[in-house]
Amino acid sequence: MISLAAAAERLRASVVVVRAGADGRAGGGAGIAWRAGGVVVTSAHVVDARDVTVVLPDGGAVPGEVVRRDPRRDLALVLAPRAALPPVRHADPARLRPGSLLFAVGHPLGVVDAVTTGVLQATGPLPPGLGVPGMPGDLAWLQADLRLAPGNSGGPVADAEGRVVGVSAMVVAGLGLAVPAPDVEAFVAGEAPPRSASGRTPRRGRRPAYI
Amino acid sequence: MSADTNALAALSDQLADAVAQAGAATVAVHGRPRLASTGVHWRDGIVMTTEGTIRREDGITVTLPGGDTVPATLAGRDRGTDLAVLRIPAGRLPVATKGDPAALKPGHLVLALARLDELGARAAFGAVSAVGGRWRCWKGGEIDRLVQSDLVIYPGFGGGPLVDAAGRIHGLNSGGLSRSLATTIPAGTVDRVLDQLVERGYVSRGWIGAAMQPVRFNPAARQRLGLASEGGLVIVAVEPDAPAAAAGLLVGDVIVSVNGSPVDDPAQVVEALAGDAVGKSLRLDLVRGGQRANADVLVGERPRERR
Repeated sequence: MISLAAAAERLRASVVVVRAGADGRAGGGAGIAWRAGGVVVTSAHVVDARDVTVVLPDGGAVPGEVVRRDPRRDLALVLAPRAALPPVRHADPARLRPGSLLFAVGHPLGVVDAVTTGVLQATGPLPPGLGVPGMPGDLAWLQADLRLAPGNSGGPVADAEGRVVGVSAMVVAGLGLAVPAPDVEAFVAGEAPPRSASGRTPRRGRRPAYI
Repeated sequence: MSADTNALAALSDQLADAVAQAGAATVAVHGRPRLASTGVHWRDGIVMTTEGTIRREDGITVTLPGGDTVPATLAGRDRGTDLAVLRIPAGRLPVATKGDPAALKPGHLVLALARLDELGARAAFGAVSAVGGRWRCWKGGEIDRLVQSDLVIYPGFGGGPLVDAAGRIHGLNSGGLSRSLATTIPAGTVDRVLDQLVERGYVSRGWIGAAMQPVRFNPAARQRLGLASEGGLVIVAVEPDAPAAAAGLLVGDVIVSVNGSPVDDPAQVVEALAGDAVGKSLRLDLVRGGQRANADVLVGERPRERR
């Protein structure tokens, strides 16, 4: 019987609950141990304060500080030095094909470390006609047939081998959207996102060309 | 890597292979404002899609897997089965490799495919939920087999193929016909409707031109007339020049049986008009003015404006 249990178990060891506020009572989402030393990635919309509480897989809570935030890319970098967690392995979703199996770990509606499964639809900008007003049209997303819910935000979307290929961000028209891993890596490294590491360059006529 | 992970990676690869194979015959259809819908290159030069996603008759285009967009002409549409036929230049892409929908069982892993832009084929993954025999969908058309799945028919996935784990296409997914489960129009229905639409531009449906509703007999009348059934169908309207009028049916007649089978639900008469009933005669047993009577109705073709 094929099972995700081993891959999910490994990934869950690197996933935390992130709560806004030092007292940890405000709403929250998920976070990923991206690098060793308490470098945690989550969604910008999960953390709107500087101080956050990071709940570790063993249930212990440690303080964290938001050191970088990019609302447009919907990413936030949290430093929680006391969170000694194994960092995740990550991979570029551009290496996957549509139909490739994916799974997400998060805390949908408060269910801690829930695993949901699905497949990759596409990596790139949303198709014309599916965007949300106010959403930047040129952002590349990992788009998945994957059930996500509030509480998944900031959690990992991983491939069949358990490598993180995206950070869950939002649901549009039922489609699960995640920030592609290369954009996350660039954000963590403090670089501008790679131009088309995981997307296409905008086509002529489809979007305005900014010059 | 553990055995589980290897098996998962292999399944993942197989699903991606199935998407690649079926995706080579899956196109984006631009026949409505904003979001595209999906179509399948069913025969060379012929793309099938769902009728409900075609909102204009002219200026339709199709985006091929290679990224080229070509003009398409609407060759026919059938609202009843939610199918539309588009013609595109021949020889531009592979023809769909079909599977046999009758081989699908609940639990089989399946994919729904779509193409909406230049990013490639898109996929949703799930399992066959329910199968069954011939049924009539709420749009009125006959569907040769029931095939339902737990696939999510995302915006734009309508008209896209239902694909098995080997990449074979079993039919077209219809958003319009789906409710809690996704509904697929099976390959046999697609072929049948395509043949009729190409041959005469429409799907011929049996018609007698009478409106009717269920009625129950009072026990005394039933006994007096020696009726076996408790009710029948009372005719409440007869259209002028319709087959029912030609056969002399009158408002107030109660149909007791059709070709010897008792009827008390209009759906049973609709069933008698299905398939190749056009041109054949139906023997109706009636109660008219308190007496038994009968009539032979020559089944006609439903007028075009009511299809």
